[in-house]
Amino acid sequence: MLELVGVRHRYDGRVVLDIERFAVPPGAGVAIVGPNGSGKSTLLRLLALLERPTEGEVRLEGVAVAGAAARRRITLVEQRPVLLRGTVRENLEFGLQVRGLRRTEVNRRVENVAARLGITPLLRRRRHELSDGEVQRVAVARALAVEPDVLLLDEPASSADRAAAQTLYRALAEERARRPLAVCLASHQLEDAYRWADDVRALAEGRLSPVTPENLFRVELPATGSGGDLKHVCVGTIEIAATTDKTGPAILAVPPTDIFVSREPLASSARNVFTGRVTRLTHQRPGTVQVTADVGVELVAVVTEEAARDLGLTPGGPVVFSFKASAVRVF
Amino acid sequence: MDFLGEGLRRAVALLLSGDVEVYGIALLTLKIGLIATVFACGLGIPVGFVLATRPFWGRRAALTVVNTALAFPTVVVGLLLYGLLSRRGPLGGVEWLYTWQAIVVGDVVLAFPIAAALAAAAVQGVDPRIRRTAETLGAGRWRTAWTVAREARFALAAVITTAFGHVVAEIGSAMTVGGNIRGQTRTLTTAVALYTSQGDFGLALALGLILLLLALLVNVALQALQGRGHA
Repeated sequence: MLELVGVRHRYDGRVVLDIERFAVPPGAGVAIVGPNGSGKSTLLRLLALLERPTEGEVRLEGVAVAGAAARRRITLVEQRPVLLRGTVRENLEFGLQVRGLRRTEVNRRVENVAARLGITPLLRRRRHELSDGEVQRVAVARALAVEPDVLLLDEPASSADRAAAQTLYRALAEERARRPLAVCLASHQLEDAYRWADDVRALAEGRLSPVTPENLFRVELPATGSGGDLKHVCVGTIEIAATTDKTGPAILAVPPTDIFVSREPLASSARNVFTGRVTRLTHQRPGTVQVTADVGVELVAVVTEEAARDLGLTPGGPVVFSFKASAVRVF
Repeated sequence: MDFLGEGLRRAVALLLSGDVEVYGIALLTLKIGLIATVFACGLGIPVGFVLATRPFWGRRAALTVVNTALAFPTVVVGLLLYGLLSRRGPLGGVEWLYTWQAIVVGDVVLAFPIAAALAAAAVQGVDPRIRRTAETLGAGRWRTAWTVAREARFALAAVITTAFGHVVAEIGSAMTVGGNIRGQTRTLTTAVALYTSQGDFGLALALGLILLLLALLVNVALQALQGRGHA
């Protein structure tokens, strides 16, 4: 178990992280979601023991740790990773050599992890001969090669194209199936986060949010839809229409900015129209209002302050949320 | 112009004839320069690494001291060292005053802050992700430092070149603690100063040319070493 306990971390006197407790249990998949600048990368660097928290401690199996010995059990892949001087093979060998592994074992692990990440053809290349996506895959392979107990990934698919991201996630899933590997992933994309959704935590302005990200629902997708890929899925007391060819357990996400807010139902192409009452109005950022409404389940939409004023939205007042079936994201 | 041309012709003739005195002075300068550079860089570069990478109390003050020491007048260093090494000084017992060893000590004192300050700047110029990557892959302190040094190799080679250049070109300390004794402590710079004051412009110019040649050779050697590496 890797934990941050009572951590307040400052840069130039400014508190950038304030976390009472955050844990990555053995073998777990934990995702941290939050916008850029929310403190995700700092949190991962503290967990990786690359920085010491200004206050508080990092614990491994309940014991406060720091330094190289404990660091060998935790490996971080940064958002924009760099390769060390030398070939891709030398990069993969680096962590194994510092652990004093025998040459045959080093070769076995390098070739194995390179095959799993699809980078065998790149082994003899140097860093300036690789694309950003290739560098990211090599960095993940380099981290997996040392077989850490905890793998920390900062926006792992940010430089990868869709196919490369699939390869990367498949390799991670295989690794977790093969041995007990805890993965803690930071992302600003819910899609990334929910690939490892044992536990999703939101981070905003350095604090872990007690609520999970808005408008996320665990559902069971039916095998057949009413027409094409259009499926109606029960969520609480309402039915949400979504376009997807997936079946079985899934996560539905409705981006708050994709919800159209009105006082009365309007004639439109939106397949999802729900009437309810405003439960909360929150001024999130200058110029925008977060409208939380009970429409059978709790949904959150984001509108401009001007729109909220024009619609006369007030807590307890009537409201209609509309969104297209194609706006519903399925993971 | 005749005066300069005559001086140059004399210089070339002396160099081509293999003049014992000229080459003796050059060899002594090279010996002192290399030894002083090894000590100054051997001490200064690790200190630069620490200043650049390890947060500790007084780090900022230490950086200020090192940077200030860059502008330390060579003659003042010679004077202080003279005080220490003279018979009445605290280190008089070692009897190094007016020896080449005293010149080496003075040069190390002068080149150490150069090596430390430039090495700190070189290491600070390395992408911080390199150090974090080495550490997160399990490297200890020394392996991490070596990994960072490999990335900063061009800048660190420039540190060595600069330190050597400074050492062979300084005159104040070498004159004060070395005494410019013929065949014992006469270096290229002190000899140039002496022969110029004596009006032997050709000899002074010949020695000056050798000084330039030495600096050129060290640069070429370091560049050749750097050229062997790849990204």
